[in-house]
Amino acid sequence: MWAYIAKRLLLAIPVILGVAFVVFAMVRIVPGDPAQVIAGEAATKEFVEAVRKDLGLDRPLLEQFVSFVGNLLRGDFGRSVRSRAPVVLEVRARLPNTISLTLAGMLVAITVGVTAGVVSAVRPYSLVDTSVMLVALAGLSMPVFWSGLMLILVFAVWLGWLPAVGTGTPAHLILPAVTLGMATAAIIARMTRSSMLEVLRSDYIRTARAKGLAEPSVVSRHAFRNALIPVITVVGLQMGTLLSGAVLTESVFAWPGIGRLLVEGILTRDYPIVQAAVLVVAMAFVLVNLFVDVLYAIADPRIHYD
Amino acid sequence: MRRVLALAVSLALIGAAAFSAAAAPAVTPQRGGVAIIGHGTDAVILDSALATDAPTFTILEHMVETLFELTAEGKVRPRLALSQSVAADGKTWTFRLRQGVRFHDGTPFDAEAAKFNLDRVLDTATRSPWRFLISRITAVSVVDASTIRVVTDAPFAPLLAHLTHGGMGMQSPAAIRRLGVDYGRQPVGTGVFKFKEWVRGDRVVVTRNDDFYGDKAFLDDVQFRVIPDDGARLAALEAGSIHVAVRVPPREIERLKTSSTLSVEVSTSLRTIYVAFNVTRPPFTDRRLRQALNYAVNKRAIVASALAGTARVSDAPIAPNVEGYSAIAGYDWDLERAEALLREAGYSRARPLRAVFHHPSGRYIRDAEIAASIQGLARRAGIELELRTLEFGAYIALTARPQAQNDIQMYMLGWGTVTGDADYGLYALFHSSQFPPVGFNRGFYKNDRVDVLLDRGRVTIDQSERDKIYAEAMKIITDDAAWLFLHSESQVTGVRGTAQGVIIHPAERVMFTRAWLRR
Repeated sequence: MWAYIAKRLLLAIPVILGVAFVVFAMVRIVPGDPAQVIAGEAATKEFVEAVRKDLGLDRPLLEQFVSFVGNLLRGDFGRSVRSRAPVVLEVRARLPNTISLTLAGMLVAITVGVTAGVVSAVRPYSLVDTSVMLVALAGLSMPVFWSGLMLILVFAVWLGWLPAVGTGTPAHLILPAVTLGMATAAIIARMTRSSMLEVLRSDYIRTARAKGLAEPSVVSRHAFRNALIPVITVVGLQMGTLLSGAVLTESVFAWPGIGRLLVEGILTRDYPIVQAAVLVVAMAFVLVNLFVDVLYAIADPRIHYD
Repeated sequence: MRRVLALAVSLALIGAAAFSAAAAPAVTPQRGGVAIIGHGTDAVILDSALATDAPTFTILEHMVETLFELTAEGKVRPRLALSQSVAADGKTWTFRLRQGVRFHDGTPFDAEAAKFNLDRVLDTATRSPWRFLISRITAVSVVDASTIRVVTDAPFAPLLAHLTHGGMGMQSPAAIRRLGVDYGRQPVGTGVFKFKEWVRGDRVVVTRNDDFYGDKAFLDDVQFRVIPDDGARLAALEAGSIHVAVRVPPREIERLKTSSTLSVEVSTSLRTIYVAFNVTRPPFTDRRLRQALNYAVNKRAIVASALAGTARVSDAPIAPNVEGYSAIAGYDWDLERAEALLREAGYSRARPLRAVFHHPSGRYIRDAEIAASIQGLARRAGIELELRTLEFGAYIALTARPQAQNDIQMYMLGWGTVTGDADYGLYALFHSSQFPPVGFNRGFYKNDRVDVLLDRGRVTIDQSERDKIYAEAMKIITDDAAWLFLHSESQVTGVRGTAQGVIIHPAERVMFTRAWLRR
């Protein structure tokens, strides 16, 4: 298993390099002269040219890319063109926030989603099932910037139970995590339900019941673990999505995470920030994918890696 | 009966006197506490020579001071400089500086420090975007420990106003030399507050400077929090997590009027919103069509509906609190006059005037809605406008193209006259030497008489003379309908009742230097 993990991590390097090339190219192809945007709308021509020269944007593209990759291998992500602070600083300040929000969001999503999915599956087509699925659909359909604001209105402004925005205490994490988790919970619920339904129809379950096992035991010990594989896939994909920056949630709740950093970097053509943020996200996806594959092996003894 | 009446009247009078005394007790500011303000964006770089946006400057100006300050009423007042005098040639200025002032790191503020900071902005290697404000300075020299001499290449009237600009802040030379490019993360000034911490993307915290030379602050700390979403920021204000929220959506003002815990302050800003015509390309080469649009658009209605009355219809190309402003008779809403002008120019409902109208989205308050309103109003006069919008970075690039490539017909922009002086508000936008890429005259407006007047306004020192010069220039610009004149924005700021003494400056700075919290 460890050899497999090591091999996967080594394979991550060309993936990251590929992403680096793509983001490097894209950021320079997008319309809007970065020197002009960075210099500001009230900047004189001389100043814009000085900015261009200073950022090395007047050098040939190949030269820029080589120097970019060279710095990357040394762990130097460069300096933000707007704030001139090392990009590593900006990313390091925000990454823990994104990780904590993602984990909290996934906790909400998995707890609510799996429970809802199992409950629906054991009583298919009943009132419980229909209502749970309806609520799931609602959760999926509500735009985050609306549901987030509604939660703030009810719990922070009207009831005053929770802080409205920002970070600082565990209490600050609750509303953003719930907002973020709702849509993902809905997806997980539907996936769990359909997967469980399929498993509950299979022969070995009929055998377990025929053996005389109590229904809760059948569901938890036999059906559930087998239904997990597709659910783990979904959880893995969703986690990657959440890590890449729940930008809307971060904006509504003033949560300083990678998502907002990335969007702000794009809007201000702050290349080094965009490059670093995209690379961090790509790395996160690679690691999450690896984690999910390892989980498969744990959940299903039939799966081997060698 | 009469005695009862007399008694009743006396009692009433005593009661009224008691009431008015109770209603206006002497209020002593309380010391201590942490005030929290919600901004829409984080600080970018805490170095006054390099900062560009209002939120960053707001934070900086609590810590870094300039030689002169621009008061909320638009007057230039000495601050770190005590007095100034100019020689007969109008080119040599002598500034006497305040003595006994120290930077937050203990080093002295003196003539050497003042020279260092001005030279730093003038040095092209610094890449300061504000260099052009003082580029007419040819030399800065130290006369003695508290006097500097500044020489310009020609008499430059706006010099003092330009020295009030945040970009001319006096920062510690020792700190700048020691930290180099990392100085922008921990500024050192002479101000009422000093830097405490910056949690990137979240907040900047400043703390009271107990060695400040003037009136010390009442507050212990001020926190500048980043809350990007307008609705969430307002919710945070209503929930009491913050004391002040900037940019409250104007539509909320009505609802918040009934609140007992907070109030909404609508105050002027120095920012004018306008639509410029490219006067070198058809159809707006024809002045009648530019005037027709000005008559067709009901600016009052736009301000009343899209901005809930929180803006001031423009009666000049610059805002009223800019030095050099005077009210010019403008274009009141007159549909008939608009249609008459259109007919004269050869257009009618059968053959309508068509143009493409570029506008930003989300850059200025309700910019997209205002553009849509203009389109609707123009249609009533038989003018068909096609709206086009772009993300702001791309939008600026599009409008900043040189004349040969610039095919834009009309575009919306804002201009903040941050120096509070008419030169900054007019020269860069209307002088024919300021076509892009050199300047910001992106409508390519050219009028020889206006050029002469704007040049003269720069070198005339006497303010009443300057007022006359600018009045004439603005009259020509208005008659020429170089712009579709819209409005000057107001700042709509929410303040909780517990926060007192908050100053909302027209240059879009919310200042806590004299603020206190009522406990």
